[in-house]
Parts: sequence; structure tokens; C-alpha cells
Amino acid sequence: MQLDSIRVVAKREYLQRIKGKGFWIATLIIPLFLVAVTVLPSLLLAKAETRQKVVVVDSTGQAAGELQSALAKPSAPKAAKPDGERGRGGNTSFEPTVEPPGPDRAAQREDLDRRVRAGQIDAWIWVDPAGLAANHVEYHARNVSNFVTQEALRDSLSSAIRRVRLRQAGFDPERIGALTQPVDLDTVKIGKEGSRAEGGLAGFAFAYLLFMMLYMVIAIWGQQVMTGVLEEKGTRIVEVLVASVRPFDLLMGKLIGICCLGLTQIIIWFTTLIVVTAPGIVASIAFLPAGMHKPTVTFVLAINFAIFFVLGFFVFATLYAAIGASFNNVQEAQQVAAFVIFFLIAPLFLMFRIVNDPDSTLAVVASLIPPFTPLLMTLRIALQPPPLWQILLSYVLTLTFIWGMVWLAARIYRTGILMYGKKPTIQEIWRWVRYA
Amino acid sequence: MEPILELVDVRKSYGDFTAVSGVSMAVPPGSIFGLLGPNGAGKTTTIRMIMDIIAPDSGEVRFFGHPRTAKDLGRIGYLPEERGLYRKMTVVDQLLFLAEIRGLKSRDALPEIERWLERFELASWGKKKVEELSKGMQQKVQLIGTVLHKPDILILDEPFSGLDPLNQEMFREFLVESRRQGKSVLFSTHGMELAERMCDHICLISHGRAVLTGELSAIKRRLSGNSYRLVADGDLARLAQVPGVEQVLAQERSAKLLLAPDADGAAVLRQIVQFADVREFRSEEPELEEIFIKAVRDAA
Repeated sequence: MQLDSIRVVAKREYLQRIKGKGFWIATLIIPLFLVAVTVLPSLLLAKAETRQKVVVVDSTGQAAGELQSALAKPSAPKAAKPDGERGRGGNTSFEPTVEPPGPDRAAQREDLDRRVRAGQIDAWIWVDPAGLAANHVEYHARNVSNFVTQEALRDSLSSAIRRVRLRQAGFDPERIGALTQPVDLDTVKIGKEGSRAEGGLAGFAFAYLLFMMLYMVIAIWGQQVMTGVLEEKGTRIVEVLVASVRPFDLLMGKLIGICCLGLTQIIIWFTTLIVVTAPGIVASIAFLPAGMHKPTVTFVLAINFAIFFVLGFFVFATLYAAIGASFNNVQEAQQVAAFVIFFLIAPLFLMFRIVNDPDSTLAVVASLIPPFTPLLMTLRIALQPPPLWQILLSYVLTLTFIWGMVWLAARIYRTGILMYGKKPTIQEIWRWVRYA
Repeated sequence: MEPILELVDVRKSYGDFTAVSGVSMAVPPGSIFGLLGPNGAGKTTTIRMIMDIIAPDSGEVRFFGHPRTAKDLGRIGYLPEERGLYRKMTVVDQLLFLAEIRGLKSRDALPEIERWLERFELASWGKKKVEELSKGMQQKVQLIGTVLHKPDILILDEPFSGLDPLNQEMFREFLVESRRQGKSVLFSTHGMELAERMCDHICLISHGRAVLTGELSAIKRRLSGNSYRLVADGDLARLAQVPGVEQVLAQERSAKLLLAPDADGAAVLRQIVQFADVREFRSEEPELEEIFIKAVRDAA
């Protein structure tokens, strides 16, 4: 290994690519894309708040008032709770008007239907004595598939009818409110150990953040490693280079250069993110409700996060390099390259089980398998620091894996240089590895 | 004088196909050495074995009097058959990279690059991307890339292919100048005329075997006794049937004849006058092209 050669190759990779349009386009487009898929839908949902004009026709003569006041409340009681799922769907509010029952019921119903079709009102509710006795209230609307609206509606109607019945049973309307007051549920989670339950979420979030960052950087730059190797082979630049640089140094330089590029990108993103959101974060921490835990990030975790990010990049980039070295054109290589992402996604499925039991044999073994280590070891460190020897062992194993893969790729590269126009078989690749 | 580069019985097969079967040759210092042969003869495979891009099945490559080491390759400037440059890099960046990868410092390399671009009439193209250059220009850029680190030996695979006559002349002058500076040049070609004008030594490869090798002037002298120039009117197509004539290179109203080693020039002439009106018949040094064709045919 010649550090000088590696440095020159890495420098070229970095400077050439950072001068290119591709880097800046990716750097700009990806945050925009993320904003588009995360922020926009919630903005749209927020905008989607609707007021439904509802006509209430009550032929019992007792429920109309209660129904109107129940529906007219700013939002259904449940929707007001800080319960994300419900809150999102509960953006529907009602604008009820009570209309007296007409002499001809059938004609009135037809007229209401007509008004719904004409768009003058959104729905109408029909209460009659027979229905009420049988616990039925009719709801007619153009769209009856929105079960969130219906559930909010059912809650409102139920509580209104309940009040009507209680009043009919002779209860004082004043006291009904107090008697039917719902209880609040104070949730206290009991983890295996007190601290773990709280750490679980933070750890999960951390591993997930690492996953997202790795995924993005690998999706962009892993492919670049592969196409870069293919370009050198395809244009025969490599014939000039191998006389001066060992293939191992060439590949290692390429990986380092492109890794630095990925890091530059991440730094640009984070700096922008921090500058844009810092005031908001500071403000929100100050206003955090007393009971809520601030997410805590230890120094050890932050360091490991950074190290495993770089290692993770190398693990996957070396796989791409090996694939690039084995094939002659992008199309052939891409078919195989699709499998690389599998190694990145596979540990995601293990994450849930590891959160539950970070010291299980499964967790220990899986977190020591190099392609899984970056995600799973970070997760374990975030949950509950594993023994030091395991962390160190995972470093050693991952570095060995990277070294071995570059060595392997270099051998394939060295021998594969002179193969063209032919898709190599596994046996041939194996022969190249042993030759060279 | 001890050869600066020597091949000893080098062989290479790909499965059943023998690309090079036992080539031996020696490049003396300060000479221009032509590796000649038809397409597919094994020239590029031989050069790649010299450059350690592929390993020979057997045989030895020796540089500067000893078996090749990795360090020797640093003293060589190599121009591969297929020109390889990073398409998106500018000419200067590209050359700087090639210089740095061979251990030059960029502050030393930059003036050199300027000088060479000037010399090859590319001075105004330094900031352009390689993909914007014509093929001939790219070839010149690549040649500059091969010589920046001041190699002792230049190994050029088909350096003249795809060049217009002006650029061919520029390359030729450059090679002759390199020889004057004491460097050795080995280049492959199937263009006999250029080789004839420049080469001191040749090795002629056909079907993977070296069929003729040595100093060009000596080879010519050896074959000159049997080579004749004929100027005549008549049915020159019949020349090939004349006993004693081994090879005919016919042109308009004239032909180069190569006779069998034991043939008698006068006897052959007596045969020819029977069907042609001979104006001229004289002994002449053979051209490399004749030698080439005869050697390839004999070897087949």
C-alpha cells in the first residue's frame, strides 16, 4: 500500500466530483425531495380541514338542541387529545342547523337529498322516535366512506342522545355534565428497567437516523463507486494506471475520495438544517412540558455514530466496488447491485427485536456481522452500552471485512481488466481471485 | 550493448487459442524498435505482457539487464492501444493527475504540462474537457501523459493509428527526438511505410510467433540479392507464374519481384521478355512491405 498513490487518487475523485454538477444537484434535490414527501402531505392535510354543513331534522322534538350543541363544538372531544392519529383525522368540524320536521316526511327527505346533491349542504341527520328507541340515527351524505368523520359524528351523537335520555329519566341537566365527565388516563409506561423504555425510543431514532443517512449516501455514492470503477475499466484508463498504482491503492483511494464527498454532503445538509431550525429547536425545548424527557445523546454514542457512519459507508461501497470490478457494463452490474441494498435493509427487521432485548444472543451475533454492524451496534450502544469488547470486536471485524473486500475487489479488478464483452461466471471470478 | 528490454521465449494462451507462442526479442538502448505484424498477430498481447498487465504463461521479461520489477515500470511511458482518459476532466487536470500518480509534485509538473501542450499545439485547449477534444487531440494529450515523468523507455501501442498525416509527422519527429536523447522507443504498427522510415530494429510477429527479428538494415541487406524492380508493358498478371519468382508486388506498369533464394535473375528475365515489353529490370533493396508480406506468407 502506498499512501501517496491513495492520496492522489482520492484527491482526484473528490475534486472532480465536487466540481461536477451531479454533486450539487444531488445535494439540493434530496432535501427538497424529503421535504416534498414528509412536510407537504401534512401541510395538505392541515389545509384539508373541512367544515361540513349538516342539517338536523328531529321529529322527536327533544334531541335537536343537544345535537346541535354537540356538533357545534369546535372539534370532537377525542380529537382534541394529543393523540397524533386521531388529531390528524379529526380536522372535520360541523356546522349544524336544525330544521323542523315538515308535514310531508318523504318530500322533506327528497328535498334534503336534492340539497346535498346541489352542494348546498354536506349531509343531513334524521332523528325520529322509532329510530331513537332502537338506537338508530340516520346520516345521509354524499360521501359516507370517511370513517374518521363518522366516528367523530357517532361520538357527538351518542353523547347528545345520552344527555337526552338522562334528562328524560329525570336527571338535572346541570348535574348530567358532571356525572358524564370522562376520566383522563395518565399513562405511565413500565419498562423492563426504568431507563430502558425511554432509551429504546431514542436508540431506535438514532439507528433509524443512521439508516436514513447511510441509505441516502449509499444510494447516491455507492453507485458512483461502481460506475467509477466501470468507467476506468471501460475507457482503459486503468491500463495506464496499473503501471503506476496498485489496484488495491486505486480502489482504496477511490473509496476514500467518494466517502469524503458523502461526508461533505452530510455536513452541508446538517449545517443548513441546524441554521434553519436552531431557533425553533431552542424555543421548543424551553416550552417542553415538564413531564417530557429531553432526548439525551451521550458523547460515546455520538462518536460511535460518526465512526459507524463512515464504516457503514465503506462496507457498502466496497461491495459496489467489487461488483463494478466484476462486470463490464453498468446494465450487467446493476442487476447484481440491487442485492446490496438488501444488506442495508435486512437489519431494519432485526431492530424491533433488538430494542426489546438488546443483550440477547440474536442481538449480539447480528450486531457483529459486518454489513449489519453499523446499524445494529449503534442501536445497541444507544439502548444500553454493550461490553467494551463487543464494540471493539465489531470495529475489528468491520475493518477486516472492508480490507478483505477491497483486497478481493482489487484482485478481481486486476484480472478482470482484460476481459471484455463477456459476462463473467462465478467460476471465472473465483479464478481471477486466485490468479493475479 | 546490453539490451534495455528483453523478451525471452514469452508465451500466452487463452484456453485453446494461442495468442503469443514463444516470442523473443531485444531492444537495444537508444533505438527505435518496431513491433510489426498484421491485425491479430499478438502485438498488443506482447506489449501487455511487457507492461505486466497480463502475465505470460511462460517466459521472462527483462528490463535493464534484470528480470522485471515493479520499480522498472516507473521508468516506462506506456501508451495503450485503446486510448484511456477521464472524459469529464479538463486536459490540464488530467495530465496533472497522471503526473502526480507517478510521483511528480504538481508545482514541477505544471510547467512541464504547459511546455508539452505548447509543443503539440494544444496550448489553448488546457481548460477544455477531454470529451470536447477530437480523437487526434486526445491522442496527443495521452502521449503527453506518457512522457511527463521522463521515462527511459517509451512503449507505444499503435501510436499512429487514427492520426492525420500532419500529426503523424509530429509524432514521428517526437520519437526520433526521443531517440536522440538516448531513450528507447518500442512501438507497434501495421503501417510499414512509417516503420521503414524510423525503425532501427524490428520484430515481425505473425500468428503469435516472431518470424523475423533484428536490425532493419541487416535484414534488408540479407534479402537485397533477390529483389528486383521491373518496368514493363504487357500482361504483368503472368509474372507470378514465372518459375523462380516467389512474390510479385504489382503496380501500374511496374512490379517488385522477390525471387527464390536459388533463382537466377537472368533466367527469370528471359522468361519475362516472352510476354512483356521490358524497359527496365534491376536489382533493388527490398521495401519493408515486401519483407513483411513474404515473411507473413512464409510463416502461414
